[in-house]
Amino acid sequence: MGENKSDVLQGTLDLMVLKTLESMGPLHGYGIARRIEQVSGDALNMNQGTIYPALLRLEQRGWVKSEWGTSGTNRRAKFYSLSRIGRKKIEEETENWERIAATMARFLAQTN
Amino acid sequence: MSSSFMDTVRALISRCVAILSRRRQDADLEDELRAHIDLATAENIQRGMTPDAARTTALRAFGGVAQARDSYRAQRGFPTLQQFIRDLRFAFRQLRRSPAFALTAILTLALAIGAVTSIFSVVNTVLLRPFAFRDPHRLVVMREVEEEIRSERSSVPDNYRHYVRLKRDARGLEDAAIFQQAGFSVSASGDHPHIVGGLVSSPNLFNVLGVQPMLGRGFVEGDAKKGEDNVVVLSYAGWRTLLAGDPKAVGRTIQLSGDAVTVVGVLPPGIQFPQIAMAPGIAMGPQREVMIFAPHVPSDWDLKMDTGAYNYQVIARLRQGVSLKQATAELDTLQRAYTISAHLPTHLGISLVPLGNDVASGISGALWLIFTAVCSVLLIACVNLANLQLARAVSAERETAVCAALGASASRLVLARLAESLVIAFVGGAAGVALAFGGVRLIVSLVPANVPRLHEIEISLPVLLFATGLSIVSALAFGFLPALHSLRIHPQTALQANPSRTGNTREGRRTRSLLVASQIACTIVLLIITSLVLRSFSHLLRQDRGFNSSHVTLAQVDLFAPQYSDKLATVKAVKLAFADRVLSDLQQLPSVQSVALTSAVPLTGETWVDDLTRPDHPLPPAERPMINLRWINPEYLGTMQIPLVAGRNLSASDRAHPNVALISERAAREGFPGENPIGKQISNIVPDSKETVTVIGVVADTRINGLKNTAAMVYMPYWAYTPWMLSFLVRSAEPSDALIPGVRRVIWGIDPQVAIPTLKSMDEQVSDSVATDRFQAIVLASFGGSALLLAVLGIYGVLAYSVSLRRQEFGIRIALGSGKLALMRVVLLEAMRPILLGSGAGLALSIVAVRLVRSLLYQAPVADPFSIGGSLLLLFAAAMLAAIIPARNAAAVDPMRALRMD
Repeated sequence: MGENKSDVLQGTLDLMVLKTLESMGPLHGYGIARRIEQVSGDALNMNQGTIYPALLRLEQRGWVKSEWGTSGTNRRAKFYSLSRIGRKKIEEETENWERIAATMARFLAQTN
Repeated sequence: MSSSFMDTVRALISRCVAILSRRRQDADLEDELRAHIDLATAENIQRGMTPDAARTTALRAFGGVAQARDSYRAQRGFPTLQQFIRDLRFAFRQLRRSPAFALTAILTLALAIGAVTSIFSVVNTVLLRPFAFRDPHRLVVMREVEEEIRSERSSVPDNYRHYVRLKRDARGLEDAAIFQQAGFSVSASGDHPHIVGGLVSSPNLFNVLGVQPMLGRGFVEGDAKKGEDNVVVLSYAGWRTLLAGDPKAVGRTIQLSGDAVTVVGVLPPGIQFPQIAMAPGIAMGPQREVMIFAPHVPSDWDLKMDTGAYNYQVIARLRQGVSLKQATAELDTLQRAYTISAHLPTHLGISLVPLGNDVASGISGALWLIFTAVCSVLLIACVNLANLQLARAVSAERETAVCAALGASASRLVLARLAESLVIAFVGGAAGVALAFGGVRLIVSLVPANVPRLHEIEISLPVLLFATGLSIVSALAFGFLPALHSLRIHPQTALQANPSRTGNTREGRRTRSLLVASQIACTIVLLIITSLVLRSFSHLLRQDRGFNSSHVTLAQVDLFAPQYSDKLATVKAVKLAFADRVLSDLQQLPSVQSVALTSAVPLTGETWVDDLTRPDHPLPPAERPMINLRWINPEYLGTMQIPLVAGRNLSASDRAHPNVALISERAAREGFPGENPIGKQISNIVPDSKETVTVIGVVADTRINGLKNTAAMVYMPYWAYTPWMLSFLVRSAEPSDALIPGVRRVIWGIDPQVAIPTLKSMDEQVSDSVATDRFQAIVLASFGGSALLLAVLGIYGVLAYSVSLRRQEFGIRIALGSGKLALMRVVLLEAMRPILLGSGAGLALSIVAVRLVRSLLYQAPVADPFSIGGSLLLLFAAAMLAAIIPARNAAAVDPMRALRMD
């Protein structure tokens, strides 16, 4: 991996994927990766390939479902969507993440 | 993100599913990745890139396709496990490439595990598996103790009155049942009767055991009354044999020794009453499965006698939470208090033994010894395999070094090497279990018939689990050291060095020597114990018995039939007439030299034990010597070839005045110390008679009750009293096999309604009486032999390997002018070190071991120079034989070829 392509924290990527699927609806792997790149701007420069183990992990837990379908350009691709459990988990995980972020922010403010 | 338990479970299931559909999933992933690149390329083209640039950009943005695929797969299945399975497969292929090694290792292990598993299945059934009664650990066998004779008899059977009192007073006992073992004569539809094992017990027996009848009911208090006691409960086997499993058995009538009794209940399958000895050292009589239970009605005698009359056995249930020790202490106190308050002439105590221990007491020592022996054989086998594996690890050193250099982790290296041992262990273990099925049958055929629960022995689930555990443990035992070896390899040195030199480091040599030494130590211990056992057994067989069993046939006749019922007034005359006729008719058989009668089957232990009471020299009961009483005819001495020492034999002229007796030398010594017993009187010895008996002769001591001991005997003519159990001894020039049909014909010709429970040659009876000792000797000898063989193979293997590693060195030595003999000496000296070390350790160990097993052996000394010397000599000879071949190979090294090597 390149120097400035910082390894995305595992949990972070999972939540990004879930949020993307929540706002965009069913999407294929490339679409998810592009959307994450777009939303994060240049701040997060990840290998698009890392999205697939993350997707598999979420699918194994039953948080997302996948299905083969056709893309806008008429290419057959695997489409991912949120499952019922996934929808519930987003709330939980968001809360969780916000708590961590707030805690980190407090620490950073203190050292400054 | 925190993942809940359910998430983990879902992920685990999905991973497992993934392993099964790996190929389809791989294709799926490829499709998905291709779609990703295609979609990205299409979008890039749309942005105005050339197709080539678009694709390159897409691939770059994706990152490594191979890495993505790898981490995807890692996420999908169980990488470590799958890796280990790959290791196992690789190990399997490696083993197939060296079939000689694999076969040796697997076969060694299969034999060892097979032997251990077979023995364990016996140990498990006989010693470990609890009885099928409710809370069997709370059941104890209760016997009384007479302090005065404690040194001679650690405990005696129970007195009825004492039992009743203890059962009433002891708070530590929940309940206790009293019983007597019995043989019932059963004849099915006019056939010759046979004897079926039974029990006459207090009605609460089934409550004490916690057994519910399958059909009908158990006993109630009302059954134990005179006139009401003609009811029986059958065991499951009894129900099958006697009533052919009739579902309407309850209420049916059967004939028991001529009396009609009603079946009131049938016990469920799997419930079997164990054989319980009257007391340690007193014979159990013939071993028969208990099929019939009858209620016991106490006789007037039972209710009256407060001393002696130790005629019963008691099984008791401890109260919940009461320990054996507490119960023993309480009952002991009660017995002591009673001794004083009732002014008893002897001091009473108590002995409680857990039911399981009591039933197995005769065989448990021998079985544990055999089990230990077979485990040490397995240990020796594992040491051999460890040595072989170590050698393989050394020759695979370069391979391991390459793996390490390429970044394989320590755990990967160890697991990869351990995989091979696991494969060997599992294949060997599986083959061992297969062998054990045959082994169990072989052992059951060897095990003496008096071993309790013999027919229950099988390869059960616990045995299989044991075998699996054993395989894993042995894989670790012989695979771990070699596997650890791969950790110590420094890739650089290993890759540069000559493999034979790395193999022959001082450390490697020391490990191998230590392994061989431990093997030798184990073998020495096993050999010394084996030779002690063999010597003790041969001594048992060869010492003077005082009687001659060859050419004698033994027939036991049981007169428990209505025509000999003690309710008949003429019973005495009827029994006497029967005995007379059998004696004279047997004498008429061709080639019969003499026919004798005795009241006890020889070699079945002490029976009819009584005090020797002298009217001219009264002694308190505790000081009276114990004697065994036998009812014989005048031909008994001649038939058994027992010499008369003093006085005269019985003669036909005594028939009119039969109150005369012969006594054995020991009885003379103990009953008439320093006196001439001839002409002296003995009182209180003939049942139902107050007349005294005159001693007319002294006969030599014999080991007629058991080869291990002589007993003080009193012999009286059967004219004075004819017992219901008669043993006829026929001396004939013809072999027993030829004689037996004639004997049977004669007896059933006189009365077809008597049972003949025993009919065989006296030699066979002698041989059967030492069955446990023989079993122990045979099994131990075979394990001792196996241990020696394995040790020899081990020494040979290690030396041969060491010589092959040092070929170059030997080549140089020869080139420098070393003689062949000198070279052989180098190798033999190398062999000597572990042998001497191991022998020393083994000798030290055997001092402890021999002490532990001594109680199992008949007249075995603690330190038997013959056994020790013989074992050492045997081992040295075998070891030298094993060393001589590698030594000669070393001397035969061709220097030119050896130096050019590698």
